[in-house]
Amino acid sequence: MPKASAVVFSVTIGRVSCFTAFDPVPRKTMIQHQWYFRDQLITTKRLHLRPPKWATYSSIQPRQADVGPWRVDVIDPEGNVIRSLRFSIVQ
Amino acid sequence: MDILSTIFKGFRWQDIADIALNSYILFRLYALFRGTNVFRIITGIVLLWILQQVAVWLGLIVTSWVLQGIIAVAALIIIVVFRNEIRSVLQAQNLRAILWGTPFRLASAPTEDIVDAVFSLARQSIGALMVLQVKESLDDVAQGGVTLGAQLSSELLASLFWTGAPLHDGAVIINGDRIERAGVILPLSQDNDMPQEYGTRHRAAIGLSEMTDALVIVVSEERGEVGVAVGGQIYEAPDRTVLSQLLMAHGIGAATSGQRETAETIRMGFSAVFSIVVVAMVWFTFSRGLESIVTVDAPIEYIKRNPDVEIIKASINTVSLSLGGSGPLLRNLHPDQVKVRLDLGGASAGVNAISVTSDNISLPPGVVLKHVQPDVVEVTIDQPVEKELPIQIDWGGTLPPDVMITGATVAPPTSRVKGGYQLLQQVQTLYTEKIILDRLDPSGTVIAKLVPYPASVRVAPGAPDRVEIQFTVAPREGGDNGADTAGDSPDR
Repeated sequence: MPKASAVVFSVTIGRVSCFTAFDPVPRKTMIQHQWYFRDQLITTKRLHLRPPKWATYSSIQPRQADVGPWRVDVIDPEGNVIRSLRFSIVQ
Repeated sequence: MDILSTIFKGFRWQDIADIALNSYILFRLYALFRGTNVFRIITGIVLLWILQQVAVWLGLIVTSWVLQGIIAVAALIIIVVFRNEIRSVLQAQNLRAILWGTPFRLASAPTEDIVDAVFSLARQSIGALMVLQVKESLDDVAQGGVTLGAQLSSELLASLFWTGAPLHDGAVIINGDRIERAGVILPLSQDNDMPQEYGTRHRAAIGLSEMTDALVIVVSEERGEVGVAVGGQIYEAPDRTVLSQLLMAHGIGAATSGQRETAETIRMGFSAVFSIVVVAMVWFTFSRGLESIVTVDAPIEYIKRNPDVEIIKASINTVSLSLGGSGPLLRNLHPDQVKVRLDLGGASAGVNAISVTSDNISLPPGVVLKHVQPDVVEVTIDQPVEKELPIQIDWGGTLPPDVMITGATVAPPTSRVKGGYQLLQQVQTLYTEKIILDRLDPSGTVIAKLVPYPASVRVAPGAPDRVEIQFTVAPREGGDNGADTAGDSPDR
């Protein structure tokens, strides 16, 4: 399980991760973590899921310019948004 | 026909009024001042002005300057030197007569009465001096005397010169059929080359006729001879017939009132036509002869029937207009007088190609559009729509090192915004105002305003524009998890 789960992170923390856990996972598949800063897509991480259940994560290393509201969209293989996780990077 | 259509293209009602008004002014000036020295000087000034225009056209810079100076000075001189003559013309007639009246001199001098009186006096060897005023005022040259204003008759006229009559020494001034003044002193001629028999009376007659257009009848006291002084010359009138002929030759009592009126009407009609022709020629010389073209960069104004329509982008903001018209009109063209208005009433969301035609361009009268560059504007239009957006807290400030915000909820979680369709395509989140961490309310609840972005997006009418945020603060757990940028693991 992730440590220090929060919705606000200091830019000095060094790394912010988005953990996602799936149970069950019927077959081997792939999801995406799309990281948005102020509605602008910054990066897309492709992550594998394997049966029977799987947890996976992606991270960013925020800099001063990244201070502000962020969002991670978790996307299924069909392109649907499964969940949106919202947080902020602050000073 | 092409030449005519070119000349009359863009002919406005103001142009007709311009020509008519100036023609009328010219005509009235002629009617009021014709035959006077003022008119002759004005004619000279007009000739000088024409010369000056020719000098400008030929590029004779110094000549045109000199002529311009002379004209300016001459105009002043007219007013100063001829002030009495101008005043007499203007004062002698009321406003209606100045603006409209025809200056017919219907009351002609009764020549029979004058001739009777003259030869009656001549027979009795009574000296006499009669001034028959024509057009010019005699106020400045004939001095003194007594104003009579009496109806002319041969008896009255003769009686004024009888020896012993109080006014018999001076001249009588006759204007039309009235004796205006008697006992008047006339200026003496300075000419030394005169017959020896001419006395003071003859010298005065010649003197006045030299200075004015008046006709002066002089009766010699010694010899009983009759003479007529006109233009500085004395003509002998040995009998009634010769005197009558001399008077008629100078337009005094020459015709019946009806004939004079007809002749005068024809003359004035001709003058009116001449005035119109002259002014029209001058007008066309200025307004059409000096046709020129200027290029003006005009800003485009968009007329939006629907105030919610957003103009996202326009390919250009100004168009270059080539405008034609008279030089003076174009030189005085003010940027505010040129307007390019494009109506977006028929435009739809997306890119619209709108033609810039003369229908979209507003120009002052007399100025015509020659060319537009470019003639098509691409305008990207956005139609207003509403969109439901999730609300996200925009945390700011500095997070204390010993605490974490472990959770936060927003109520309501969404709100509606209104803005351009294309613009809202890019907008996925509605943010709150900055929630400053340095001064968080310990209650864990805060009310925050919604701040739509970009600025043209607004919270939809009726939709919540404030939210309640509930957050959870917890002590920070120590240590970094040391995870990579991306990773996965079986969750067992």
